[in-house]
Amino acid sequence: MAELDFEMKLDRMFNEPPVMMDAEAFARLVEMRLDRGWNLRQVGIGAAGLVAGLVGVSQLLGSRLLFDAGEATQRNAVAFTSSVNGLVQTSENISALPFGGEVLWLAAALGVMALAFAVTRAVEEFQ
Amino acid sequence: MAGVRTPASLHDVELAALAAAGDRPAFGELVRRHGSAVRGLLRRMGAEPSLADDIAQDAFLAAFERVSEFRGEGTFSAWVRKIAARLYVRRWRKESRFDVEAEELEDSHGGEISAAARIDLDEAMKSLSPAERMCVSLCYGAGVSHAEAAEALNAPLGTVKSHVKRGLDKLRLRLAPPEGATGEPAGSKGHG
Repeated sequence: MAELDFEMKLDRMFNEPPVMMDAEAFARLVEMRLDRGWNLRQVGIGAAGLVAGLVGVSQLLGSRLLFDAGEATQRNAVAFTSSVNGLVQTSENISALPFGGEVLWLAAALGVMALAFAVTRAVEEFQ
Repeated sequence: MAGVRTPASLHDVELAALAAAGDRPAFGELVRRHGSAVRGLLRRMGAEPSLADDIAQDAFLAAFERVSEFRGEGTFSAWVRKIAARLYVRRWRKESRFDVEAEELEDSHGGEISAAARIDLDEAMKSLSPAERMCVSLCYGAGVSHAEAAEALNAPLGTVKSHVKRGLDKLRLRLAPPEGATGEPAGSKGHG
């Protein structure tokens, strides 16, 4: 029992903080180091960002990505222009047929009707 | 103005939560409250005052880095003291200045025990060998178990236990009231 009492007493003694006259100065020193560390970290992050940005730009330039992208855009523009020309040519060919546009519309309408009839029959067959 | 709460009016757990969110003044208040306890422990472990202050600073900086891990299960003071004690042990081991398995040294104070020394823990700690001092401080000051102390010191558990036991016997004698200065039978239950 005395043993336990002594250990509890020792625990208490260890847990009693000693009075130190320079406690405030010590705290300020720690705060100063924290602030310094924080500022250094901010500078470090900024510098790392700058370096990463520069590396990224140099890689972009080095890999000819911009040049390739420009070429691809040009190729696409040429392909689009030729497609539009093809469409215009087709419409001109249709206009050159010996019958008028009404005949074409009539043919299209008949085709739709035939399709509808086929669908109706199919539905009836499978019901 | 009842809604305004200064860091000084907040509980340790609230301050730690603020510090975890990057509030450095809140952490400064924690340093103000517990700095002396941490520095005191390091001195009791055997560190010179200037070294103790350096390690205490490092311990608080390390504590700030991982303050989000502090959940308020124990006291903040105990948490930082444990960090500081581990830093000090690591430093000792790195500098190879400490052999925990070495036999105890001569009692530096020897002979008569003054009445003042009997009630002063700091003075009493000086009567212990470095190994005993380290083990007792770790187990009672930093709140680590015998097993954790053995791991931190890289020493066998039995060695740590015997250092703690011998240290406690000496402290009992030193801290006993004058009429009981003849000493009691030794024996220790230890912490861990």
